Amino acid sequence: MRALCWNGVNDLRVERVPDPTILAPQDAIIKVSLSSVCGSDLHLIGGYVPTMRAGDIIGHEFLGEVVEKGPEVTRLNRGDRVITVSIIGCGKCWHCEHEEFSLCDNSNPQPAFEEMAYGHCTAGIFGYSHAFGGYAGSHAEYIRVPFADTNCFRVPEGVTDEQAVFVSDAVPTGYMAADMGAIKPGDVVAVWGCGGVGQMAMKSAFLMGAERVIGIDRFPDRLRAAQMKAGAETLDYSRVDIYDALLAMTGGRGPDVCIDAVGMEADSGAPSIKGLAIEDLYDRGKQALRLESDRPAVLRQMIQCCRKGGTLSIVGVYGGLIDKFPMGAAMNKALTFRMGQQHGQRYVKRLFEHIEKGELDPAYLLTHKWALDDAPQGYRMFKEKADDCMRVVFAP
Amino acid sequence: MTGDRDGGRRPEGSAGTLERWAAILGGTALGFAGARRGSWALAALGGGLFLAGAAGVPLSSPLRQVALPAVRREPTTTQANVTIAVPAEKLFRHWRNVRHLAALFPHLDAVEILSDTESRWKAHGPGGVPVVWNSRLDKVRENELITWHTLEGADLPHRGTVLFRPAPGGRGTEVSLTLAYHPPGGAGGNAVSRLFGAAPEQQAREALRRLKRIMEVGELPTIEGQPSGRAERGRVTAKLREVTG
Repeated sequence: MRALCWNGVNDLRVERVPDPTILAPQDAIIKVSLSSVCGSDLHLIGGYVPTMRAGDIIGHEFLGEVVEKGPEVTRLNRGDRVITVSIIGCGKCWHCEHEEFSLCDNSNPQPAFEEMAYGHCTAGIFGYSHAFGGYAGSHAEYIRVPFADTNCFRVPEGVTDEQAVFVSDAVPTGYMAADMGAIKPGDVVAVWGCGGVGQMAMKSAFLMGAERVIGIDRFPDRLRAAQMKAGAETLDYSRVDIYDALLAMTGGRGPDVCIDAVGMEADSGAPSIKGLAIEDLYDRGKQALRLESDRPAVLRQMIQCCRKGGTLSIVGVYGGLIDKFPMGAAMNKALTFRMGQQHGQRYVKRLFEHIEKGELDPAYLLTHKWALDDAPQGYRMFKEKADDCMRVVFAP
Repeated sequence: MTGDRDGGRRPEGSAGTLERWAAILGGTALGFAGARRGSWALAALGGGLFLAGAAGVPLSSPLRQVALPAVRREPTTTQANVTIAVPAEKLFRHWRNVRHLAALFPHLDAVEILSDTESRWKAHGPGGVPVVWNSRLDKVRENELITWHTLEGADLPHRGTVLFRPAPGGRGTEVSLTLAYHPPGGAGGNAVSRLFGAAPEQQAREALRRLKRIMEVGELPTIEGQPSGRAERGRVTAKLREVTG
């Protein structure tokens, strides 16, 4: 089959590789019909996530058809149209039983890396480096899914392919970001990052009762989509001081819930804004020297802006160590931190219901649909945010 | 707030200047090497050394203890712990049938039952070097504990204990495996290092993890045999297996 392989930093190629086969009794093989790019893939492509190996197939957000299943798969049939949650649960450990699927004890076949770096190992993720299990990803014609009964979900008739594909990752991640904020009616929610996950977080925040949602980004098309599609007010961080603007919009209180949908490659803002260029240079310099693995600009800003006693919900991906973290502000302001990779399996059913009722329509995230053979250009476009690109989806 | 300590004299147990700079420079170099090779472990180690150096953590005294284990007379003890979401009875029954244990230790080839308390074990080191020992159960407490020791003439003399204890909050059972064996240099030392490599803790942890996965999900998750764009696929999976045991 053909597959998009990572061969080194910013070196992606579509190559011929062997077809996947059933390797364990609970596996299924899915014929991929749509597979989306994701912002967190950019961290892999840029070389910020260690333990990538040349030849790894990337991609983790996909929709397809069950073509083969292992002897212990009982809930799926050949021909089923399914999405697969990008983060793999075994379905049987204590964490999976408590719907914390991304903390699964058993799905990562290479736990040594994470145990060394994080103290414990978390779930395997498709196409997401060997620290997260080394599973082959979905930018391919076929993909093998372990523990298929737990991780594959049949798509209801009334939901289109273009809506369903994002229920793999972007929709549940955004939904979980809002869920972790424990939003109460009347709350003001600020969302840093207006990409796919940020858009879904804004929409979900309204579904959970937020009175106002404020989206923060610097790309005009994303800010426009946040306004037109997600119903948010917007701030362009390259033009205004975010702290001043958020306090002005909230009577000096600050947002009740702050959501980070950006992660480790955050941009500190335009050099014209007081003092921020130094922060950005500091973070980029330390990151380049591998003395700090992540750029925490959004985290610092959220801690500064959040109302006293408010909640920070973090779904943007971080990899390792962070310097100059304003713990004093966080502690003295009594902030609550919630975070994690998405527990998608917990939300899929509810999300399909929202989509069927017309309360949530993620299809607008899909701005470009390309052939798999053009995947390297697709990623370049997504990375450069060219042509108002929100998400490129490949159809093998 | 603490004041100026000792008029500038170095407090007991903190690192000297030379040691600190060695840690900082060495850590930076390791961090770079790790980052360049995409090695998470190396980069983390480098980062850790750098931080330890910068914070003045004493490194050389514990290092000396680790580097010279042969001078100690007591057996080396290693312990691993895991919580498994099944009742103790089930785990005890599984472990009591020693034939099941071959699946937990990849170097084990066969376990032969000689009597109710004695068994004969065959394993292999790198290059297929055979390692053989006889083992006898000492104490067996139903659903709680199994201890054993190897008999005279064993290639891998050791004592072992596995403990099963109910975990709080209905989380299942806490399992703890302790192995005591003679350090390299003593009798059987070569077999120990052949079989366990440099990281017996890792071997014990991996064994308990395999037990957990077999008991909880009935299979060991794997990526072996999946497609990739690597020409030398076999070599890479072999290397990864080394890392994960």
